[in-house]
Amino acid sequence: MSKEKITCKEVMKHVCESLGENLNDEKCQEVRNHLDSCPHCKEYFKSVEITIECYRKYNVEVPEEAHGRLMKLLGLEE
Amino acid sequence: MEEKALIQKAQSGDKQALAELVKKYEQTIYNFAFKICRDKNYAEHIMQETFYSMVKSLHQFDHNSKLSTWLYRIVANHCLMMARKAKSRSFVSFDDDDENLFEEKYAADWNSIPYKDTENKELKRILDMAIQNLSPDYRMVFLLRDVEGLSTEETAQVTELSIPAVKSRLHRARAFLRKEINEAFSR
Repeated sequence: MSKEKITCKEVMKHVCESLGENLNDEKCQEVRNHLDSCPHCKEYFKSVEITIECYRKYNVEVPEEAHGRLMKLLGLEE
Repeated sequence: MEEKALIQKAQSGDKQALAELVKKYEQTIYNFAFKICRDKNYAEHIMQETFYSMVKSLHQFDHNSKLSTWLYRIVANHCLMMARKAKSRSFVSFDDDDENLFEEKYAADWNSIPYKDTENKELKRILDMAIQNLSPDYRMVFLLRDVEGLSTEETAQVTELSIPAVKSRLHRARAFLRKEINEAFSR
């Protein structure tokens, strides 16, 4: 019996479900094979990675005054 | 000093040790709170509430989890409480059928997205807008797991969700945010 080929939508779902995890399980191997031959899904995979990277890089620093107010509130001023 | 010893000193009332713990985690907590609420005033308020709770209940900390995980949980509780108070905001809802998350009406050129430019104002605006459309519990899972780098198990511990629930929220949050950015850069 021939196994049905994985679809692009299934690949996209899988990419969102287990990005970078369980790379050795059977489904993942199938996904990786698909990604190797489908530029559209490869682009999708990259775009999910970029999305995460954007949020990782977007950081803010504690303002000096906020630090001062925190230590004062806690009674821990130097 | 090793963190465990520092916590034990703080638990026994050593103010200097307590101040060191606060300084060690304030940046992480402020940044995380900002990432959830996308507002610097709220982030400061949540940071204050979190450390106030830490000081009050540090004696209950039993070293069974990391202090950071324990603090993330306090932040998460404060953020969810704040979100419940400000009920007026409506969020995108996901039903069991999430097929539309994978429908592509637009095609952005992802190579042109300035994701390496961390100070790009337009990108920041889009990132803020996209994540604010996610309900806080989905936002929390995405931020803990993908942005802060906690494991799935730690994320489940902080959010008090089951592991399958964490995975389900994570995949929907990833797909949703990616779709929002894709659409924003296709206009």
